[in-house]
Amino acid sequence: MKREAIERLQTTVAYVVLGFLLLLVLFPFYWMTITSFKTEDQMRSLVSMFWPAPFVVENYTQLLTKTDFAIWYRNSAAVAISSTLVATAIGTIGAYALARLRFLGRAFLSSATLITYLVPPSILFIPLYAQIRTMGLADSLAGLIAAYPSFTVPFVTWLFGSIPEELEEAAMIDGATRFGAFRRIILPLAAPGVLAAGLFAFTQAWNEFLYALVFISDVKQRTLPVGLSTFITGDVYGWGYLMAGAVLTTLPVIVVYTYLQRYMVEGLTAGSVKG
Amino acid sequence: MATVAQLPVERARAPRPRAGLRRRLGADWHLGYLSVLPMAIMVIALVAYPFCYAAYLSLTRKYVGVPPVFVGFENYVRLAYDGFFRRAVWNSFVFTFASVGVKLVLGMVMALVLTSRIRYRNLFTGLLLIPWVAPTVVSALNFLWIFDASLGVLNYLLVKVFRILPQGVGWLSEAGTAMASVIFVNVWRGFPFFGISFLAGLKAIPGELYEAASVDGANIVQRFRHVTLPSLRNIIIVVMLLSTIWTFNDFAIVYILTKGGPGGATQVLPVFTYEMAFGAQRLGEAIAVALYMLPALAMVIIVLSRYMRRSHAR
Repeated sequence: MKREAIERLQTTVAYVVLGFLLLLVLFPFYWMTITSFKTEDQMRSLVSMFWPAPFVVENYTQLLTKTDFAIWYRNSAAVAISSTLVATAIGTIGAYALARLRFLGRAFLSSATLITYLVPPSILFIPLYAQIRTMGLADSLAGLIAAYPSFTVPFVTWLFGSIPEELEEAAMIDGATRFGAFRRIILPLAAPGVLAAGLFAFTQAWNEFLYALVFISDVKQRTLPVGLSTFITGDVYGWGYLMAGAVLTTLPVIVVYTYLQRYMVEGLTAGSVKG
Repeated sequence: MATVAQLPVERARAPRPRAGLRRRLGADWHLGYLSVLPMAIMVIALVAYPFCYAAYLSLTRKYVGVPPVFVGFENYVRLAYDGFFRRAVWNSFVFTFASVGVKLVLGMVMALVLTSRIRYRNLFTGLLLIPWVAPTVVSALNFLWIFDASLGVLNYLLVKVFRILPQGVGWLSEAGTAMASVIFVNVWRGFPFFGISFLAGLKAIPGELYEAASVDGANIVQRFRHVTLPSLRNIIIVVMLLSTIWTFNDFAIVYILTKGGPGGATQVLPVFTYEMAFGAQRLGEAIAVALYMLPALAMVIIVLSRYMRRSHAR
């Protein structure tokens, strides 16, 4: 009887704390979304605070017609997708070699990749900028596509670290060549992992801010995070269309993430911090 | 059948020097080097070389578009006496340690809640992770709007709805609250990563350990101290070290919320570096700022990569 009461109390406490955490986490997104449907007047006079009345979409139409937002969207998509393809190809093949093949320097390279993943962009951004300038890639999306693998490749390699070894060996004993085993056994088995690693790399490239801020000064070449952040430099903040832009910038990440969720709990944590 | 019979002959005919190469470079050296070549080039071109170039530039006087002039350790010496730099160092440490500390506590709370008997656990886990995957810039802009002194919802709630404060607070524009505000946003963004990592660790603890502890008469606090914490030890270390690196080098949140203001109250090293490089155009000194923290950073990275490799191999 007493034990049951304690358990019920524990569950209640858990729900209360959970409610608090959910409120803390979700409120900013709720606020962002409803702000994007408010008029300037509603915001200025602090009316209809928690649900927009009237509910307007003019922030979105303004954003898409009167600003460079659509161009930035295209830029971000181009940069994130191309750098992800590069990173996934290089990273998965590299990870396979580091995990399976025996050659001198394997352990060293494996450490080097991990350390690369840990070296922060705030140290690298100035020399990378100098390098990008010398190569004539400043102010171009190509510069970002070239630079982003510096964090996406190590990330993919790290994530993609574990492939079931026994299956490959079994295939080779059955007479398959190394390449045949890779193509027929490893690749299909690893496909979901490759996809997940690629999508993680995509969100990282999509969200990246510092390099995009430093390498690009041409307004038409900006990516979304930098473009959005420039909305706040003017005198009038235009919160409505800023928040509309924030909503549209977050959407692809949320879509990708809904797919990735099952990997996040097991894949990401098992890969990076498995105890 | 015939091919099988031929195999030993072929092996015997393999030329000697290559066999030696094989022994020295490893059995799969051909394919191995070919596969890691792009990755190695990437690591060298995008990290190792820029890093060495950075170390060199920090010893020069360098402006954008002008060749560097070697000045030895002048930049480092000058910085050591620079009040703004010292303040940024101090702020960075406050920002990092406060953030990581709070994230640790909140992350543990999140993991414990998600392992207790609740419904829709996967849904809630997914929802709580959103700050970690959402673009940092978007989150920072959201909070810029929430913290807004005159039209922000935080002041609206505190003044008009709950009537806790007589008037609104300039959360980001007053020296007393600016640091706490940027720390709050960093915590908000980062604690779900702690939570999800601890959750994975908690799930791996065998239930028998708790049962045994209960039989021995341990209460809930004792079970947490003597079963949960020791089992999570490695994960806690790895997550805290990772987060220390990320937080120390977090640029977007402070840059968007305060740009280091008011009056340098939230100036942290990454933003200081950026402003030195692209505001004042002093590249050499800017890199010296970034590299000043290298010894500490390198130590964290080395310790961390040991832990991560060990757990990765398992």
